[in-house]
Amino acid sequence: MSAILEIKNLRVEYRSREAGQGIKLAVNDLNLKVQAGEVFGFLGPNGAGKTTTMNVLLGFVNPTSGSASIFGVDVREPIARQRIGYLPELTYYYKFLNTEELLRFYAKIFRIPRAERESRIDAALKLVELEHARKRLIRTYSKGMQQRVGLAQALINNPDLLILDEPTSGLDPIGRMKVREIIQRLKNDGKTVFFSSHELGEVETVCDRVAILNQGQLKVEGRVNDLVDQYKCDLEQIFLKIIGYEVAA
Amino acid sequence: MNNALAVSGIVLKELYRRKDFYVLFILTALITLVMGSFKLFNDDKIVRYLKEICLLLIWVSSMVIAITTAARQLPAEKENRTIFPLLAKPITRGQLVLGKFLGCWFSSGLALLLFYVFFGVISGTREHQWPVLNYLQALSLHWIFLGVVIALVLLGSVVFTAVSSNATISFIVIVGILFVARHLNKIALQLAEPGRSIVYTIYFAVPHLELFDVRQLIIHNLPLIPWNMWLIACVYGIAYSLFFLLATWMVFRRKSLN
Amino acid sequence: MASPRFILAFLFTICLSCVSYLEPWYQKWSGAENRSGDFLSVLIGDSRRLFSNQMVAKADAYFHSGYYPTIFDAPKEKEESHLSGDNDAEAGHDEDHDEQPGSTNHVEHAEHQHSATCGHNQKSEDGFLGPPKDWIDRFGRKFFPSQHSHLESGGEREILPWLRLSAELDPQRIDTYTVAAYWLRKRLGKIDEAEQFLRDGLRANPDSYELYFQLGQIFAENRNNLVRARNLLEIALRKWQEQEKAGLKPNELSYQQITGNLAKLEEKSGNVAQAIFYLKLLQEKSPVPQTIQQQIDDLQKK
Ligand SMILES: Nc1ncnc2c1ncn2[C@@H]1O[C@H](COP(=O)(O)OP(=O)(O)OP(=O)(O)O)[C@@H](O)[C@H]1O
Ligand SMILES: [Mg+2]
Repeated sequence: MSAILEIKNLRVEYRSREAGQGIKLAVNDLNLKVQAGEVFGFLGPNGAGKTTTMNVLLGFVNPTSGSASIFGVDVREPIARQRIGYLPELTYYYKFLNTEELLRFYAKIFRIPRAERESRIDAALKLVELEHARKRLIRTYSKGMQQRVGLAQALINNPDLLILDEPTSGLDPIGRMKVREIIQRLKNDGKTVFFSSHELGEVETVCDRVAILNQGQLKVEGRVNDLVDQYKCDLEQIFLKIIGYEVAA
Repeated sequence: MNNALAVSGIVLKELYRRKDFYVLFILTALITLVMGSFKLFNDDKIVRYLKEICLLLIWVSSMVIAITTAARQLPAEKENRTIFPLLAKPITRGQLVLGKFLGCWFSSGLALLLFYVFFGVISGTREHQWPVLNYLQALSLHWIFLGVVIALVLLGSVVFTAVSSNATISFIVIVGILFVARHLNKIALQLAEPGRSIVYTIYFAVPHLELFDVRQLIIHNLPLIPWNMWLIACVYGIAYSLFFLLATWMVFRRKSLN
Repeated sequence: MASPRFILAFLFTICLSCVSYLEPWYQKWSGAENRSGDFLSVLIGDSRRLFSNQMVAKADAYFHSGYYPTIFDAPKEKEESHLSGDNDAEAGHDEDHDEQPGSTNHVEHAEHQHSATCGHNQKSEDGFLGPPKDWIDRFGRKFFPSQHSHLESGGEREILPWLRLSAELDPQRIDTYTVAAYWLRKRLGKIDEAEQFLRDGLRANPDSYELYFQLGQIFAENRNNLVRARNLLEIALRKWQEQEKAGLKPNELSYQQITGNLAKLEEKSGNVAQAIFYLKLLQEKSPVPQTIQQQIDDLQKK
């Protein structure tokens, strides 16, 4: 199996605008490989550097040093993104469009042939259960509905690799279940999913492998089953232990 | 190019779903009509003042539309975080910049068309002549002018952080060019040496936007600009637009997005 | 608890009553110094004089179809030839000239003085622009009016709105009225409008001999009402003399015009003695007393 996603010695520093604040190290010497067909959970407490890493993977943030590649192509090349679906952490979509128009716009950028476009849009909307609101301006959506729009746009190009930044945040229980199902289905179709989440229970059920990041540094990486065996407790407790939070017995 | 066109389609949609353009158009039409309704010395053949006022309003409105839309584009994408899902798709930043430019340019072109049709109707009903070619020249040069303005403002929007400061600075620079660029050579001649060379350099370097302002020719029913001169002016304006666009891309290309 | 709407309506009522209470008081208070009290003067205050100048310049530019120097083009020459009174040049002209208003503007005496005034500017074919200084300059001239021309055959009406605006901005500026009346009367045949505009001017400037003179000319030349014309011209003369006594240095050319036209009018009415009286007044101030003497002699022969 080949690595679809590869991060080598990645280091990202943020320079603070205010003088005297120095630099903020967001990601520190990170090495990571995600194999084709895997569902990979990217974990860590708030501010650990998950979103920053994903921003590097999509070329939004330039690494201070190190590199990252997707499908063997450096992430700064736009071709690397043809086969990616990405769901950002916090996003508002163009408020003056309705979902249908938004998806059509993205479909154009993916160069999905005109004949296929509408059926793809229908399918994506059906998947996230937004068909009833497809002609409404996104401005009028609730947070969870916007999150569903995000999922729909991430799936519109039938991607081989999904990068999802907290895909279940803001969703109701049914929505979460749906997301889990979608990830499961994608996995069955042989796709690769790289996602971050704070829902350790759901990570445990869907992920093949996980990595836990703390303060920009990779603490643990491995198969979920192996980790559970090794630590003899569930993922949540592993997580707490690793970030140094002692659970009262 | 396809990507750029898709982006420009979004810009167009935004413009016609927002209300500011309609407000400006209605305002222009209203002021012109009110001005036109004054009976001056019982002479309804007096028309040039009306043309002047109407064209001035059109120029101001079109500049306001162009500058505010262009200045908003990239910062709003960042502010609303819509740029993230967009750039996660196979679109280059260059295509994004080009698309934003084309969107603003097309939409201001449509606005101009509407404005000039209104102008043509107003002046035509009064003057009983329809110098369509002259109006087309004025319209096309005006449009090219807006292209340079939009490109310049886009460049400003990746250089300055605040939208309002970019819009204000651009507006001042553009109006300044319109008023003094033509005369910088005369000013240079009146200066002593280091100043003279500096002003001369500025004179040759700034885009001579005032070339595209042929309102006086239209107001006074003067003959057409020779078409070869018109063509050179168009090329000149497009070259400057491309120059600013390229500069925008070079700044934007490697910019971190947060 | 009262609803916000009620409060809103209540506040609005208070505002209205305050305004209606204060407005007359304000009128009284401001009335003394602010005679016209109109919207424009409140809005832009004294700077309206400047704007008024701008409007007269605009009218002049219109007369030249936009071919007009800016502040960057030989500013001194512009000052002399386009805006200030060319009285010296004018005084030398003959009777025909007396029909002209106290000219202070290029616009009005363009016909007579074209070569004189413009020659001043047009050192070469290129006029105030001079030969192109560089390629941008040469190229740019295709995009704005760069040929000297004048409005004619009715096109002159286009300058009127700017003069009107100038009068609105600065009602004390006399030449606005005289120039506009000249065009209305001489070129556009709009006698009533010319009279009306001059009367507007008189309302703002009750002591202006120029305006009385112009008004008199309308009755003398266009209305053939010699009685009223005489009346008005006499007032003009009296106003002029009063101003001279008061040491205000009224315009000598106007004096020549007033007396000259009064003489003509009396001659037409058959009052030779009165005509000679006015010619003698004219002679006192005329730069060409011999010519006037000639006219007096001719009259006396009759
Ligand atoms: N633009 C920025 N400028 C400066 N520091 C930043 C910037 N963006 C992020 N950081 C810092 O980088 C670190 C990592 O942030 P990041 O957003 O990657 O965290 P995260 O793991 O996604 O957290 P969360 O679970 O809350 O989403 C944080 O300490 C954050 O304060
Ligand atoms: Mg995050």
